[in-house]
Amino acid sequence: MANVLVFAETRGVALRKVALEATTAARALADATGGGEVHALVAGPPGVGAVAEQLGKHGADVVVVVEHAGLANFNCEVAAASVAARVKGASYRAVLLGFSAQGRDVGPRVAVKLDAPIVADVTAIQAATGDSLIVQHPGYANKVIATLEVKSPLAVLSVRPSAITAQAAERTARVDTMAPAADPAASRVMVKEVVEGGKGKIDLGDAPVIVAGGRGLKAAENFKIVEELAAAFGNAAVGATRAVTDDGWRPHSDQIGQTGRQVSPQLYVAVGISGAIQHLAGMRTSKTIVAINKDKEAPIFKVADYGIVGDVMEVVPALTKAVHEAKAGH
Amino acid sequence: MGTSNLVFAFILTLGAGFFALNVQRLVGYMQIGKSDDRSDHPLVRLKNVLTIGIGQTKIFRDPVAGAMHATIFWGFMVLTAGTVEILIQGVFSKFSYALLLPKLVYQLYAMSQDGFAALVIAAIAFAFYRRLVLHPKRLEGDKLEHTDALIILGMIGGLMVTLLLTNACQYLLDPSAIGPEKFVSRQLAGLIAPLDPAPTRLFTVFWWSHALLILTFLNYLPYSKHLHVATSLINVYLSNTSGPGQKGVMRPMDLEADVDHFGAADVEDLTWKNLLDGYSCTECGRCTAACPANLTGKLLSPRKIVINSRQRLMEKAPVALGDHMEFMHPALVHGEGDDAGATTLTEVLEHRLLDTYITEEELWACTSCRACVQECPVSIDQLDIINEMRRNLVLTESRFPEEIQPAFESLERNGSPWAFNPGDRALWAEGLEINTMAELMERGERPDILFWVGCMGSFDDRAKKIAVAFARILKACNVNFAILGQEEHCHGDPARRMGNEYLYQMLAKDTIGTLDRYEVKTIVTSCPHCFHQMGNEFPQLGGNYEVIHHSTYIERLLQENLVPLQSDHGQRLTVAYHDSCYLGRYNDVYDAPRETLKRSLPVINLVEPPRTKDRGLCCGAGGGRMFMEERVGKRINVERTEELLATGAETIAVACPFCMTMISDGVKAVQSDVPVLDIAEVVAGQLA
Amino acid sequence: MKIAVCIKRTPDSESRFRIAASSTAIDETGLKFDIDDFASYAVEVALQLNEKQGPGEVVVYAVGPDAVQETLRKAMSMGVDRAVQLKTDSVPYDGLAVAKALAAELAGGGYDLVLFGKHAFDTSSGVVGTATAELLGIACVTAATKLDIANGKGTARRELEGAAETVEFSLPAAVTIDEGIARPRYPSLKGIMAAKKKPLETKPAQLGDVRITVKALQLPPDRPAGRIIGEGAAAVPELIRLLQTEAKVL
Repeated sequence: MANVLVFAETRGVALRKVALEATTAARALADATGGGEVHALVAGPPGVGAVAEQLGKHGADVVVVVEHAGLANFNCEVAAASVAARVKGASYRAVLLGFSAQGRDVGPRVAVKLDAPIVADVTAIQAATGDSLIVQHPGYANKVIATLEVKSPLAVLSVRPSAITAQAAERTARVDTMAPAADPAASRVMVKEVVEGGKGKIDLGDAPVIVAGGRGLKAAENFKIVEELAAAFGNAAVGATRAVTDDGWRPHSDQIGQTGRQVSPQLYVAVGISGAIQHLAGMRTSKTIVAINKDKEAPIFKVADYGIVGDVMEVVPALTKAVHEAKAGH
Repeated sequence: MGTSNLVFAFILTLGAGFFALNVQRLVGYMQIGKSDDRSDHPLVRLKNVLTIGIGQTKIFRDPVAGAMHATIFWGFMVLTAGTVEILIQGVFSKFSYALLLPKLVYQLYAMSQDGFAALVIAAIAFAFYRRLVLHPKRLEGDKLEHTDALIILGMIGGLMVTLLLTNACQYLLDPSAIGPEKFVSRQLAGLIAPLDPAPTRLFTVFWWSHALLILTFLNYLPYSKHLHVATSLINVYLSNTSGPGQKGVMRPMDLEADVDHFGAADVEDLTWKNLLDGYSCTECGRCTAACPANLTGKLLSPRKIVINSRQRLMEKAPVALGDHMEFMHPALVHGEGDDAGATTLTEVLEHRLLDTYITEEELWACTSCRACVQECPVSIDQLDIINEMRRNLVLTESRFPEEIQPAFESLERNGSPWAFNPGDRALWAEGLEINTMAELMERGERPDILFWVGCMGSFDDRAKKIAVAFARILKACNVNFAILGQEEHCHGDPARRMGNEYLYQMLAKDTIGTLDRYEVKTIVTSCPHCFHQMGNEFPQLGGNYEVIHHSTYIERLLQENLVPLQSDHGQRLTVAYHDSCYLGRYNDVYDAPRETLKRSLPVINLVEPPRTKDRGLCCGAGGGRMFMEERVGKRINVERTEELLATGAETIAVACPFCMTMISDGVKAVQSDVPVLDIAEVVAGQLA
Repeated sequence: MKIAVCIKRTPDSESRFRIAASSTAIDETGLKFDIDDFASYAVEVALQLNEKQGPGEVVVYAVGPDAVQETLRKAMSMGVDRAVQLKTDSVPYDGLAVAKALAAELAGGGYDLVLFGKHAFDTSSGVVGTATAELLGIACVTAATKLDIANGKGTARRELEGAAETVEFSLPAAVTIDEGIARPRYPSLKGIMAAKKKPLETKPAQLGDVRITVKALQLPPDRPAGRIIGEGAAAVPELIRLLQTEAKVL
């Protein structure tokens, strides 16, 4: 029987989705090792303790609340010190957290403070016996999946966001309060400014979704259907082929391909793009590729996961409408 | 010897001496360049002098200007003999070739002098008309260049006129001295006689004018673009652009050499031959007029490259050599060239050919199509300078358009300029039952030919169809062939053309290692770049193979009736064939692809655009331009596609995967639906 | 400024990977190895900082077998002054063990800045940089997309999920570098020649306990072949369904 500690990530006073996923993973691990407790630690500004209820519903037995006015912005050093302090004062089998921007920072620090091995970006915890944990971790840009054994009485694991589905395991969590284990004002790294995304134009390199247009659009003014589809996704950037930027329909900075940007978004929608070698070199590694083209022989269909043969002027507006509806229903 | 003889002897010595000093100065300047052995193949070189030089074959590529120039040139050749006679007569009044030559020969000589003098005058008149009235675009230079040209034309005209007038006066004074073969002079005498029947004074004036004009002309040359009068034949002899050796082969480079930089950044990094090219350039602009980059509005002008290397030499050499004859320094006039305007020694030393005179932008605009080299009437090698300067940019300074870095990195990591998985190289051949060399080797067999597929044929969806078509033809003809499969990788030619000799040699040597391991003798490839590189440049690195382009290979198969063709000839099709530069201008393969088309499509109507064969316009992809952006001016591929479509062609045929990409894009850009086919696809489509 | 850059040698990401017979390693035949992409951005950032800040020193470190010497030379051909190889037979999957080896070496180095790639292509963990910083007891900023050093202080921009933040930090510090910050320079032949003469020191790596071991490697299921799901606007509902349920990107 062993307890598991979760660092439950918050932004402001709100819990992040990955915190619940880590809690679910911790619950499973605690249950697998003979029914230990799941403890979740949150660190944030006053009021953050209110997330305890939500954590309890997902399987946390104890919620350790670290509230401090100096924690309005995420403070890695305080979070790591507090997690380590909590572990040192008790007995835990593992520390779990998300493999998110925060988790990437906190995990290794906790591991060093506790001298515990850390596996990052875990997609599954497969077995726990004695001092041994068997976990799955994708490497080589997801081209290889590693099964790793961690041999240590205490381990740090960061779990890949969305890899584990958060599940309800209703209980009422006890709340422990704790003072920050480090002075937030003494941090060596201070956040000066946070810019929320979604307001400015999303860079092609960062965009989770890219909608790109090619010469199949026939004219510069038809590019607006590409922009409208991108707007429907909300988190999409607009790209173009070399032919299109050469023709001046779009700025050169929008070009995707061998001589332009090389991108690999979660979703790539190719509109009126035939798929010349020069273009494929810039987008082949996208996770999911959708192609819309009137020529069913176009090479783009060879790399596309989903293809629609048809007139872009007809298909794209219909898709835009459908995406809007899908987003609204979500 | 009279007083005037003595005076003339003195002036002649002075004039000749000053000219000799200038020759010494200019030859000295050339020596700051690197060495380059051009003493090989004297007979080939002599043949070039006789055809390109004396025969003016390249000059006649522009028939109108050609006739004009050839008249003046041949006139000069003939009249130089007369000039020597006149100069000797200046010292020894009694001298005449008549004393040395048989009568008939002398009469012929005398007639040629008069006849050519008249012809030259006519040609000069036309030259003035052309420059002052017609203004051909390619002669666009600066004011100084125009003035220089007019001075020279004036002097030549003056020389001819004074020569004839001198003869005419002499005839009036002593009719026996000027025989009937000097028919023009005699006619002229008839015009002078009414003014002065015994023109002793006029004779003296014209004779001295002529003699002094000769010396003035001689001494003006070193300060004029017309220095080519003295250097062009020498330059043609020493040039390699029409052989000896294979055309268009890049200079070998020793990467282990203990040097502080690679390639050319300044005139000292060029060879003396590059510098002689500068002296030989008359700024006729034929190179620039043929340059696809210049034609479509890019900054590059091959003429400017040559003139600028000369301008920089004039600035740098006196300083580098500690030449103190400053009064002799005024530079050769500059047409399109820049004058960096250095006034202090520090400025001269701060300047260099790269950046001060020739910009990076110009160098990267070159498609290495060789049109400039092909056109040059005096066999200047503009491309050699560009290639050397690109080498410096990449190897020494790591400066290049950022979009070619992925190509370099991918060549290094994936063995092709595109970031494709090397393991997918032979996917195009799946299901076609094509042997790899390794498979045959294992069975103890050896194919007759290796089909070198190339990176385009391996990875580009459009070019894969060409590879399949060619493989189908080989199979239909029962040719015993194999591919390297995953063991093939780029030979590095794109890297070499983009100046990255280091990467090139790495890839080329590795390729040679693979080919030698399989004891490959004969290679057939559908890519002219692979064809040129492996056939013509691999020998520099010790790789010697017979490399055949697929157009030649298919033509041979057709000729030997080995290709099972459909008997139905189908409908009459109008086809325009687009010449690939690396097949045509680099390797003189013009007929094989055309013959292939005619043999496989007996009812074909083969049409030619105005720019065709050795004048063909590049598709825009050569010299690594395939991997660069084309942001300035009109796109070359569109320009070329428009020319091809203007022939009324219903199909465009190509014989190069790079041309295929560019022309296909061009066809799309002008919203045409004319199909673009490789010659192998045309033949494969006719297989029975 | 004195800057250390810790780099890793990884196979080209375009490669098609196979698992070695041992099933605990990838089959390295035919793979092209080079400096890891993120590490190459870190090298570039270090060189640019050094050029901007005036005379200083940039030193590269790599843990691994002798093959990493080639990678270290590559960094030196870009302009790095010298290199240190921390020799091991292989690089363990345990990032903390690697961090200990690096921290032991860097501790007395007097570096103002220690740069890392955001993570390495092979292990894709992003542990080593942060752990090394923690071991050294210095400030750490991860995944920087902008980095400036002025007046003994650093400023960096980091991209978070759906947001970006600007942070200020004290020196010495460790910074891990994300893509988009700088395009790594292409080594000139001159640089390659010069790199051959630059000092490369080899020392045994003082790895900590290696507590993470690879039990098995496997390849993920093949990506399903592309398919055409229909023609015209009528195919849109099916596409939406697939994006939601199969690809899970909507």
